[in-house]
Amino acid sequence: MPCYYDVNDILMEEELISVVFQVTANGVGMLDPGAERNTVEKGAKVDLPFWLAHGMLSLEQAVSINVPPCFTQKTRKEIQADAACVDLRVRCPYFYELGCKIVPLVGDKSIGQFLRYAFTSRYKEILSKAHSSSTMTVPKFATRLTKEEAQVFESARESMSSFRKWRVGGARLQKASILGRKRKTKLPDGPSTS
Amino acid sequence: MAGQSDPHLSLFSPSEVEFVAEDEIVEIVPNIRMEALNMICGDFGPFFPQIPSKVPLWLAVALKRRGKCTIRAPEWMTVERLTQVLDAERESPREFQPLPFHYIEISKLLFDHARDDITDAYLVRSLIEDIRDVRFHKVESGLETISGRTHAVKLKNLSAMEVNIVRPFMVRTLQAFYKHDSPQMIQQADNTGSRSTPVTDRGPRRDLRRR
Repeated sequence: MPCYYDVNDILMEEELISVVFQVTANGVGMLDPGAERNTVEKGAKVDLPFWLAHGMLSLEQAVSINVPPCFTQKTRKEIQADAACVDLRVRCPYFYELGCKIVPLVGDKSIGQFLRYAFTSRYKEILSKAHSSSTMTVPKFATRLTKEEAQVFESARESMSSFRKWRVGGARLQKASILGRKRKTKLPDGPSTS
Repeated sequence: MAGQSDPHLSLFSPSEVEFVAEDEIVEIVPNIRMEALNMICGDFGPFFPQIPSKVPLWLAVALKRRGKCTIRAPEWMTVERLTQVLDAERESPREFQPLPFHYIEISKLLFDHARDDITDAYLVRSLIEDIRDVRFHKVESGLETISGRTHAVKLKNLSAMEVNIVRPFMVRTLQAFYKHDSPQMIQQADNTGSRSTPVTDRGPRRDLRRR
């Protein structure tokens, strides 16, 4: 769940989004690598981080946001064909989080349903591998997961591996490392306690 | 542990669940004479040689390790009972058989510390492993039915350790499904303007396991 202290929520806002400037902006030429003067012309297409794009949109409709490539028809077709095989991490590691935030900002209302469809169909794949995968090696498909899916997958894998560790057994009480050391250093000195 | 990075997912480690299980009562047969032990959790004993007595598992294990008693295996930890349970588990694909809430932990503690007190220890152990596998497979196939419309999950007779294993996965999954199924994300697609529709309709309650 997004919250103020969630580092993923902060990192997500760094995702670049392509926007079109609706006004001519002076003094912000650094945003547009192609700008000749210190100005971004009206109609220029610029990649901005989400937080900046969001801010400029809410400010006075200074920009219009294009739908990011990971939510376009091409990706949707791929997801429909075989959701589990699509490498969403390459496209956008914060696929779902960005999608949730971008829905209110763009005109395309079907993104919400697309996200739900993608997660539901990919969830089946995660579930089938999560509890049964080996504890040592990370399965190949795990590199295709987005951050949110990876969290779901890892939580299952970790609880299963800690259960397996417990079942195999081992020392129930662990000796603190400091205990062994103390005696060794003290013995030559004799009982010089303070 | 998986939950530690996220304070919202309260998670016990397996050894903590085992610690809780140590309060279960088992029957021991002492071979010493000892006065009653007055603990905060209750009084146990007095103990007389060859007179069975009921004590918590932790006390039984402590006495056993000092060679002061033998532990009587619980009645469900016999080959006949476990074979029955395993068959029943295999026959009913949607429900769990009643077993003690801490059966995994109790059996592990007994195998670790009182192996010689269990008849057919090897067979009993593999039966318990099989039962656990069958049950866990059921849990997994039940998890497949989760969707954003799941808002109550009934898991009758599921044991402490089994719940504990799936807890972090399930909590995160449900969080994700609820987020993606929330009215802000979906309703907009249906009717853009009308926001007055109440959010009460979450669909029929869907059980993970039907009884």
